[in-house]
Amino acid sequence: MNWESVSSTFLLIAFILYSVSFLVFVIAITGQRWSARDPRQHARKWGWIGFGGAAVGLAAHLIYFFTRWYGGGHIPTSNMFEFLTFLAMMIMIAFIIVFAIYRAPVLGVFAMPVGIVILAYASVFPHDVQPLIPPLQSYWLSIHVTTAAAGEAFFAVGFAAGLMHLLRVVDFKETSKPARREQRGVEFTLFAVLLIVGFVGIFFVFKSAGYSASFQRETVSIDANGNEVTQTETVNYVLPPIVKPFNGTVLQMDPFLGMKSPLFEAPSWMKGVNAGRKLNTVIWSVISAAVLYALLRLVFRKPLGAVIRPALQGIDPEDLDEISYRAIAIGFPIFTLGALIFAMIWAAEAWGRFWGWDPKEVWALITWLFYSAYLHLRLSRSWHGRRSSWMSVIGFIIVMFTLVGVNLVIAGLHSYAGV
Amino acid sequence: MIPNTKCECGHQNLVGTVLCESCGKPLYDEDGTQPLEMRYDGVARRSQKANPSWIDRIWNFFSSVKVAIYLILAILVGGALGTIYPQENTFINIDPAVYYKERYGTLGDIYYKLGLSDTYGSWWFIALLVMLGTSLVICSLDRVLPLYRALSKQQIRKHPQFILRQKVVYRGEIKEDAEQWVSRLAERLRRKRYRVRTDGTALLAEKNRFSRWGPYINHIGLIIFLLAVLARNIPGWYLDHFIGFVEGEPTPIPDTRYYLKNERFTVEFYSEDEMAESFRKRGEVVPKKYETKAVLYECVADCGTPGKQPQLKEVARHDIVVNDPLEYKGLLVYQFDYAETPRLVAVNLSLRNKKTGEAYGPFRLSMKNPATEYEAGPYRLTLKQYFPDFALDDKGVPKTVSNEPNAPAFVFVITGPGMPQDGQVYLYFPREVDKVKYRQDEINGAFGAEWELSVGGMEDVEIANYTSYLNIRVDKALPYIWVGAAIFMIGVVMGLYWQHRRIWLRIDDGVLSLGAHTNKNWYGLRRDVAWALRQTGVEVDPKQLANEVKKT
Repeated sequence: MNWESVSSTFLLIAFILYSVSFLVFVIAITGQRWSARDPRQHARKWGWIGFGGAAVGLAAHLIYFFTRWYGGGHIPTSNMFEFLTFLAMMIMIAFIIVFAIYRAPVLGVFAMPVGIVILAYASVFPHDVQPLIPPLQSYWLSIHVTTAAAGEAFFAVGFAAGLMHLLRVVDFKETSKPARREQRGVEFTLFAVLLIVGFVGIFFVFKSAGYSASFQRETVSIDANGNEVTQTETVNYVLPPIVKPFNGTVLQMDPFLGMKSPLFEAPSWMKGVNAGRKLNTVIWSVISAAVLYALLRLVFRKPLGAVIRPALQGIDPEDLDEISYRAIAIGFPIFTLGALIFAMIWAAEAWGRFWGWDPKEVWALITWLFYSAYLHLRLSRSWHGRRSSWMSVIGFIIVMFTLVGVNLVIAGLHSYAGV
Repeated sequence: MIPNTKCECGHQNLVGTVLCESCGKPLYDEDGTQPLEMRYDGVARRSQKANPSWIDRIWNFFSSVKVAIYLILAILVGGALGTIYPQENTFINIDPAVYYKERYGTLGDIYYKLGLSDTYGSWWFIALLVMLGTSLVICSLDRVLPLYRALSKQQIRKHPQFILRQKVVYRGEIKEDAEQWVSRLAERLRRKRYRVRTDGTALLAEKNRFSRWGPYINHIGLIIFLLAVLARNIPGWYLDHFIGFVEGEPTPIPDTRYYLKNERFTVEFYSEDEMAESFRKRGEVVPKKYETKAVLYECVADCGTPGKQPQLKEVARHDIVVNDPLEYKGLLVYQFDYAETPRLVAVNLSLRNKKTGEAYGPFRLSMKNPATEYEAGPYRLTLKQYFPDFALDDKGVPKTVSNEPNAPAFVFVITGPGMPQDGQVYLYFPREVDKVKYRQDEINGAFGAEWELSVGGMEDVEIANYTSYLNIRVDKALPYIWVGAAIFMIGVVMGLYWQHRRIWLRIDDGVLSLGAHTNKNWYGLRRDVAWALRQTGVEVDPKQLANEVKKT
C-alpha cells in the first residue's frame, strides 16, 4: 500500500467535508429568515450539523497527517505544503475549541473559509515527501512547528471573528469620511482573501490545461580567484509569462491567447531568476482577483461587505469582539511558547545561538510585538470594538507574511521551508 | 488648588483616585450613566503625583502604557526595516561600504548609509530595547503596589452607583428574607469556586484574583530575559568564533586554552531508495548528514611559546552533527559548514639513492608546523627553511605568500655518510606541480641527480579532503535566558487563561442591586451570574445582564 496516496485521499476528503460544513453553516445563518421555522432552533440545528461536518473533516485531516507521518518517516511539517496543511488543521481545531466555548454557528461561516482557503493555497506547493536535511533532523521540528502553528491558528480565529465584527458594525450606507475609510478597508480585506482564492484558481486552471513555459538566464560573476564564472539558471512557469525574468531568454513557451512571447521583462533590481516568476504570479493573482471581484460586484450590485452584512444582523457585535479577543488571548501564550521560546531552544541547539536576527525570527518577533501591543491597547476601553478588530485583521496579515511571505520574498536561514 | 479627594463615605483618597478606595463611589463623572472605568480598580498610581519633580517626570514618562505601546511599535518597525536586505553579519569577509552598493544598487547604498545594514546592533535599536526594558519595570511598579493594596482591603458593601455602573448588572426585587437569600446565593457561588464574603445583606464574591498578578510576573520574566542578554557583555560570558578545521591537525581555539582536531569530516547524501517515489523524479541531491569527528584538547604547557610545540591533553571527543554539538565545561562546538579543500597534510618521505636504489627512512613530514630535525637511516636532515606557500618575488628571491600550505617548499641540510662536512643543501617540493614549476631537479643540481627525497606511493601521502567549519560558543547567560522565558510563560498563562471575576451585591428595602466585573471573558462571567441567580429563583438570561446592551 502506498501511504502517500492514502494520505492524499484523506486530505481531499477533509477538504470536501470542510467545504460542505461551511455551506451548512451558511444555511444555519441565512436560513433563519426562511418561512415556517423558529429562527433560533434553525440556527442551532444547522449549526450542529455544520459542526459535525467540520469534526468529521478534521478526523479525515488527522488521518492524512498521521498516515503521511508514518509513510514519510518524519512529521509532515517540513515544507510549505506540509506546513500550510498543518496550519489549516490547527485552525480547524482552534475553531472547534472556540465554537465549544461560545456555541456561535456564525463563527463557522467565517472561520471555516480561513481554514479552507489556506488548505487550498497549500495545494499549490509541491506535494512530495522530501527527505529531511540535517538541520531539520531534530525532535524540535515537531515541537516547535506544531506549537507555533497552534498559536497562529487561534490568531486566525481571532481574525475571522474580528472581520465578522467589522462586517457587523461598518455601515455601508454612511457617507462620512471615516465611514468611507472603514468601508474601503473591509472591501480591501475581502479583496485580499480573493487574491489567494484567485491565485489558487488560476494556478489549477493552467496546471490542468498543461500550460508550460521556461526561461534561461546566464549570469557572469567573478569568483574569489578572479576567474569569470558563468552560471546558467532555468525557471519553469506554470502561468503564462506576462513578465519574464530580468535578462532571461525563452527556452520554450506555449502560446496563450495569441501571446507568443512575454509582454514585459522584470525590472533589473529583481535579481534572482525566480523573482521574475514570482512577480508574474503576483500579477496573475491580482488580475484573477480583480476579475472575481468585478464579477461578484456585477452579480450583487453593491460592495461585498454590504452583501455579507445582513447575515450578521442578529448578532451582538460585543460578542464578536469578545470572541476575537478571547481567541487571540488563548493563542498568544501558545504562540510565544512555540514560535519564540521553542524556536530559541532549538536554535541554541542547532546553530549555537538562541537568537540571530534571521528574517524569519525577526518576523516572528514582529508578530509577537504586534499582538503584545494589541493586548496592551485592550486595557483602554476606547480600543475595544472596531479598533481591536482592525488590529486582529492586520495581525493575521502579519502572521501570514511571516509564514509565507518571508519565505517567498526574503528567505534567510528558513529558506529550506520554501517552495 | 488641591482637589478634594475625600469621599462621602469618609475615606480620604490619594490624588488621582477614580473610584473611592473604600466604597467604590465614582469621584469623577458622578452623574454619568456609562459603565465605570475599572482599570486597576480606579486607584491612584504613583505617577499621578500632584507636584512632580524631574525624577517624577521621567517616572511618569516611562509609567505610561501609551509610551510602552509606542516603544513596542517603534521596535516592530525598526525590526521590519532590518529584514529588507540581509544584515552585515550574515556575510563573512565583505566590505559593506562596497558590497551593498554593488549587490543591491542605489537603494542598497542608501540602506547601508542609513545604518540599516546593521539595524540590530545600532545604537538606536538597542536604545529602544533598553527604553522598553525601563518601561517594563516602571509600568509594573507604578501599578502593582497600589493594585495590591486596593485588592487586599476590599470593602464588601459598595456604593450603589459603583454596583449599577458595572458592565454586568442586575436590579430586581427579592421577595424572601434578604439575609437568607444572600446566604443561599453565597452557597451557590461557593460551588462555582468563588470566595464569598458577606456583610449582612451585602455580598462580595471573588474568584481567581491571582490572575491579576500574571502581567507583573510575565514582566519580571521579560526583565530577567533582557538582563541576561545584556549580561553577555560581561568578559568571559560570551564567546563566538567561526573556525575552519582542516582534517588532521589540532587547531587552537582563540581566547581559550583549547585545541580542536577534526579527525574526519563526512558528508552523506540520501540514496534513491530513501526518497519517496514522487520526490525521486525530481532528481535532486539532498544531504543527509554532516559529521565531524572531533577531539578537544586542553593545552597544559608551552601554549603559545614560540618555537615550542604546545603540549596537549585530550579532554573530550564527540561526533558533531547538526543538532548535536560537542559540549565540554560550557564550551560548545557546533557543525556550521564545510568545504571540499583537498590539501596535503603530511608525506612519509624516504631518502633514496637513485643509482643504488637504497632507501632510508621513512620519516613523516608535516605540512603545518613541521619539526626541524629528521633521521633517515644514518642520515640526518635539518630543516633550514620552510615556505608554506612558496613563490618568487620580482627579484627572484623565495618568499611565502601565506601561512597556508598551498604550495609548500622545504630546504633541508643533509648530513651523514658521503655528504659534505657542513651538509648538503636540498630543496624539496612535495607537490608534483610545484616540483616542475620551480625546477626542483635543476636547482638541486648534481646532488639531485644522485639523491632524492620521495614517497613510496600514494599510501605515503596524507590528504585532507574537507575543511569543517565549526562554530565555537560559550554563552553563560543561557540558563538565565531560559529562566526568564519560563517565568514569562507562567505569568502570561496566569494572566490570559484565568480571569479575575468579582460580583458585588446589596439588598436595600427588598431591592437587589448586583454588579459584576472581570478583566476578560464577560461571556463566562454573565453565565456564572445568571446561573447563580437562577439557582436562587431569579430567572434571567445571561444576555440580559449586559449593561450596554440594555441601554441601546
